[in-house]
Amino acid sequence: MLGSLASIAAWRPQRRQALGGRTRLRAGDQLTAWAFVTPAVVVIGLFGLAPIVWTAVLSFQNNNLFTQGSPFVGLRNYRKMVHDPVVAQAIEHTIVYTALFVPGTMLVGLGLAVAMNRKIRGMSFYRTAAFATIAISTISEAIVFLWLFDPNYGVVNYAFHLLHIPQQQFVNSPSEALFVIVVMTIWGWTGFAVVIYLAALQGIPQVLTEAAAIDGAGRWATFRRVTLPLLSPASLLLMVYLTINALQLFDEVYQTTRGGPLNSTYVLVYYLYLQAFGGQGNFDFGYASAIAYFLFVIVIVFTAIQFRIGRRFVHYRS
Amino acid sequence: MRKHWLSVVLASSVAAFGLAACGSGSGGGGTSTGLQIWEGYTGAEGKAFKHLLAEWNAAHPTEKVTSQFVNNDYSLPKLLTAIKGGSQPDIAYVYGSWAPNVAQLSQVVNLTSVVQQPGVNWSDFWVGERDVATVKGKVIGMPALVDNLAVVYNKTLFAQAGLQPPSPNWTWSQFVSDAQKLTNPAKKQFGTAYVTPGSEDTVWHWEALLWEAGGSILNSTNTKAAFDSPAGLESLKTLQTMAVTDKSMYLDQSDSEYANLFNSGKIGMLVTGPWDLSGFPSVKYGVQIMPSFPGTTAGHQTISGPDNWVIFNNGSAHVAAAEKFLIWLTSTKQSTYFSLATGDLPIRSSVQDSPGFTQKMDQALPGVDTFISNLANVKQARPQLATYPKISTILGTMIVSVLLGKSQPQAALSSAAQQVNQVLASGANS
Repeated sequence: MLGSLASIAAWRPQRRQALGGRTRLRAGDQLTAWAFVTPAVVVIGLFGLAPIVWTAVLSFQNNNLFTQGSPFVGLRNYRKMVHDPVVAQAIEHTIVYTALFVPGTMLVGLGLAVAMNRKIRGMSFYRTAAFATIAISTISEAIVFLWLFDPNYGVVNYAFHLLHIPQQQFVNSPSEALFVIVVMTIWGWTGFAVVIYLAALQGIPQVLTEAAAIDGAGRWATFRRVTLPLLSPASLLLMVYLTINALQLFDEVYQTTRGGPLNSTYVLVYYLYLQAFGGQGNFDFGYASAIAYFLFVIVIVFTAIQFRIGRRFVHYRS
Repeated sequence: MRKHWLSVVLASSVAAFGLAACGSGSGGGGTSTGLQIWEGYTGAEGKAFKHLLAEWNAAHPTEKVTSQFVNNDYSLPKLLTAIKGGSQPDIAYVYGSWAPNVAQLSQVVNLTSVVQQPGVNWSDFWVGERDVATVKGKVIGMPALVDNLAVVYNKTLFAQAGLQPPSPNWTWSQFVSDAQKLTNPAKKQFGTAYVTPGSEDTVWHWEALLWEAGGSILNSTNTKAAFDSPAGLESLKTLQTMAVTDKSMYLDQSDSEYANLFNSGKIGMLVTGPWDLSGFPSVKYGVQIMPSFPGTTAGHQTISGPDNWVIFNNGSAHVAAAEKFLIWLTSTKQSTYFSLATGDLPIRSSVQDSPGFTQKMDQALPGVDTFISNLANVKQARPQLATYPKISTILGTMIVSVLLGKSQPQAALSSAAQQVNQVLASGANS
């Protein structure tokens, strides 16, 4: 996680350092350099690259744990995916979820971070409280939210009752269950967004906001024209990171709705997990790998688009 | 989502096939025939099983059995991975619903002639157990556990509503009307509950109703769906009345809250199994067999979900020792001990018949005597097909869509029957 954060944070478009001063390494230095990087290369290769390549191989095989061999079947798994109505549903749910979760988490995180970016008594308590959401295990979170959103005994419906809002079915309703998961995960990831935004806010030199004030800018204008652009690298980081995570949503679905009611919370990773390890008992690694590869492509495309858009809007201070 | 699940999935599949490549092939080890058994017992069951193992090991020093804990829910993927790597255990506890899939494995030992040996007394096991241990005429396991569904009701709530407690010859229309009278929206109190994750737990509750209404899941040759019938319609309509019309049924998406709610006095009646009884210390409950549908000859039935001990081939010496151990473990003496120590239902009818057994069981776990006598109402088993998990998924969706008021019973039945026929026509692995 930290590795990917660092690499995204260090990313600087069109700001390549001049390479003039580069000198040739001697053979001995080469060897020493390789000795230093080898352990990392081996670990990344074994647990990162090898599975990626192996999954590609699996996706072209009829490979399940029951049969002895694993014959190559060409594009059969991919063709099956195209004709699988549940995959289409899972894609739709994954995209709807991502479209709500990513901006939702960023907005809530930004709001809290701005509110907390001041020196008042007890602030460290509030900051700890906000960050605690990321430290709480998904299982506890799921149990708490299931009870909050219980249609009959939950606090949320009780509050709705007091406010004269009609009672909702929440996790029992195919049209509402996904939104419960959105709310739950936004809550769970708020701490992460707050920490990133707080760090970025504290990196903004006061001279800039003071200069804006002297030039006659109001608080909103200062925020809009000075603070927000200076936060853009943090926003890009959050957007990319949260999107990749949203596309891989699994734990929360597994712990709460298990894809239900009536397939309404099937998302891609949960569905491929069912194909490989559970549910229908087919242990179809070939098909699951094909879905995994499809998701891999979606993640790459989304990330590329985000970086391309980011190039226009992200402002880096030198 | 917090962990990179994709990479976990990929990494574990690599690990699985890495094992396959190595192929160590050392099953239970060395020259002595030490056996390894995979089981998922915890608590009282864990203690009782340990006791039995110690007893066996003391008497059989050359055929010692060592056990390894494997959560039953995850044992199948683990087993299949071990088999690919040639390091399968000698014996494993396997869910009955996986029997048809496991039967396809060449490493599974055929026990058909073993259970006919003198002293095993195969017909002493309940018919539901024998059905689930047998796949296409081949016995692939010995019974490990048996259960069934009956109605557990809250005596206090019945008295408060001025209702007579259910009698052994009650009907589903009585159940529906009792459920309605036990419902009190102001107190958030429900007449009954149903689990709606759409899993096999959703499905088998309905299958019992289908059988009681005189229906079947598939035709006699397991080639076509048979549940799209008047019996199917009656069973689904009964559930629909409570869930949609009367709103007397608490729908439990989580598949676990219903037990807490019953124990808090919020639910009047539950259709459930003996495993839940120990979770109801706070309420005064009674147990009654399932109601029947009048006008059918099907009478009072129930459904059972037995599990099996399965032997995997690690050479003839290991297989012989494993067979000997299982015959000993499932004998009347050992299974009587295990039932009394754990409250698990007796796996043999001779255990039930042994003097004082039922009274002792009921003292330890009130109401379990009804579950024991209800074993005689297990008259059918689910289809023993490798495609059953797929059929179950379709049926789960059908039931949940009716209970949530998203479809009408007849439309749901027709659509599900069509899908099941497609699965049956296309065969096992497609």
